[in-house]
Amino acid sequence: MRSNPVRRSLAALGVLSLASALPALADETCQSPYLPRLVGQEDFVYVWTLGIDGVGDGSDKLVTIGANPAKPGYGTVVSTVSVGGRHEAHHGGPTDDRRHLWVGGLDDSRIFIFDVASDPAHPKLERTISDFPEKTGGVVGPHGFYALPGRMLISALSNSRDGGGRTALVEYNHDGEFIRTIWMPEGATYGYDARIKPELNRMLTSSFTGKNNYMRKLSELLGDAEAMKHFGDSMVVWDYHARKPLQTLKVPGAPLEIRWALAPEHHYAFTAAALTSKLIGVFRKPDGSFEAVEIADIGDPSQTPLPVDISLSADDKSLFVDTFMDGKVRVFDVSQPRSPKQIYEKKIGPQVNMVSQTWDGKRVYFTTSLLANWDGVGGDDAQFLKAFGWDGKQLSPRFEIDFRAEKLGRPHIMNFGQAGLYKTQAQRGVDPGEPG
Amino acid sequence: MAWLVAAAAIGRAAETPGEPPLLYELPAAGSYALPPIDRVSEHVLLGSDGREAPLLGLRPGRFAVVAFVYLGCHDAAGCPLLLASLQQADRKLAASPALRGRVRLVTLSFDPARDGPAEMDNLRQRLAPRSDWRFFTGRDEAMLRPVLEDFDQDAVPALVREGESAGALRHVAKVFLIDGERRIRNVYGSGFLDARILIRDLETLLSERSPGD
Repeated sequence: MRSNPVRRSLAALGVLSLASALPALADETCQSPYLPRLVGQEDFVYVWTLGIDGVGDGSDKLVTIGANPAKPGYGTVVSTVSVGGRHEAHHGGPTDDRRHLWVGGLDDSRIFIFDVASDPAHPKLERTISDFPEKTGGVVGPHGFYALPGRMLISALSNSRDGGGRTALVEYNHDGEFIRTIWMPEGATYGYDARIKPELNRMLTSSFTGKNNYMRKLSELLGDAEAMKHFGDSMVVWDYHARKPLQTLKVPGAPLEIRWALAPEHHYAFTAAALTSKLIGVFRKPDGSFEAVEIADIGDPSQTPLPVDISLSADDKSLFVDTFMDGKVRVFDVSQPRSPKQIYEKKIGPQVNMVSQTWDGKRVYFTTSLLANWDGVGGDDAQFLKAFGWDGKQLSPRFEIDFRAEKLGRPHIMNFGQAGLYKTQAQRGVDPGEPG
Repeated sequence: MAWLVAAAAIGRAAETPGEPPLLYELPAAGSYALPPIDRVSEHVLLGSDGREAPLLGLRPGRFAVVAFVYLGCHDAAGCPLLLASLQQADRKLAASPALRGRVRLVTLSFDPARDGPAEMDNLRQRLAPRSDWRFFTGRDEAMLRPVLEDFDQDAVPALVREGESAGALRHVAKVFLIDGERRIRNVYGSGFLDARILIRDLETLLSERSPGD
């Protein structure tokens, strides 16, 4: 019998559970297993947002959205923190104690570290790392930020020597000091995402493209046959503890986001290949090695819908897959992981990229931006965050925020926050997280 | 007393015969790197005998494994699990001629109001160390605060409601592997700490050549 997902998550918790009953968990299902899980309703969605020239201050910014219907500010912009300039804001993630949020820029490789604990409703920019390429030996494009105990693992996209896809994994300590660079192995030199399954001591990485391509207008890129050859076609299986590559899996078409199944006894992961529009399962074989298998089409591959972000439910049964070009989300029943079935489809908007769901699966959030020079290629460059309820059968709208009308920019990665995680503020008489 | 709940859980873990098999082969000692992550200072705290003593006691060729706990922790997957893992490490260290005498296990409470030297000594006796395993607390929070800041450990009092303590602490349980130069060489999350990994890391550090060892 499969163990209760809440009990499974408690096995990775470092945060005390106060309730005698099992707590409801609200966290995104995609977060690092080394994070304490959010308990109860999320209060905020932190949205790392790319600035648009002529829209508001035109700068990249961290936008805090109220996400708790029981608190003031629900469904509204609670605060913003501009970092000055446009850096190609893209992804980010919390540290292992959730006190800081690290976010990065793919263009100039700046990393911004926000304090989200002192006042969760009003994050503060605490530190900026401006020498990432220099410190790392030429790594460019910090993409994924994945909490390890006491460190941050950063998966990058490119390098400063030729702007191509050869890249590395990088580790920093919580003071923002460089620890090491781990270059991707020969034969699989491209990077994108890095995810760990601690029970197996295995890390999976995927592969996208280099700065020469991702900073280029998509319409031009698609017409450049030579440039289109320079997309990732592999995933690497690593001995995580030793940081040693063990196996290269051939996965053509730029496999992007990786999601390990969450149950300790489920030894597989999913990814979507953007250029071939295939859902890929990465399965552990009896001998301990892995195989990558195409398990489903995502939409009509001949139309290149461009699958981007994916989100796996906490019970490993449902997989949300966004496709950028048609603005749709498709939900697959993956309870039989080798034979998924699409069970739902909805158009979220003219374009859609990121999807984040809560651990209880009841709330799902979407944002639009992929890359500044790729957004709006279909003609309508709408930029929004949309929140839905999910009952297992359909999405029901909760609220939406037009990021252009609010003069914010292009919303990208979302991370949940919760005021109750940092209770000392309450002791000092300052109720954390009240907006305004 | 809540710490007895924790200690009982530890006792049960110690009585479980054998270890569950790992689902993977451990990398060979010395086949991988553990680059320094950060550096910590030496601190003087209260030992379980009530006397002040240095927390780490390090010199080249020696190592410390530091874990922050509190005895009121009811989360079986938190402090009790961490202590059970450390007990397994203690047994392995005691059985290792190469590591025995080179490694100090350190268990430090960050709840000095409730976990005084007597309570930590009770825990020590319950765990029955076979290697160099020491137990510390602070005289008060002021004595402890520099240590928590140095190790970037958060321990936030949890509240039942405004102004009413739940008697519990929110913390992210982590274990720190420290070398003879007081450099942190690895950090382990409690939910995934396995004594076999810790021992392999110590063997890896031991295989590094260092002058003065």
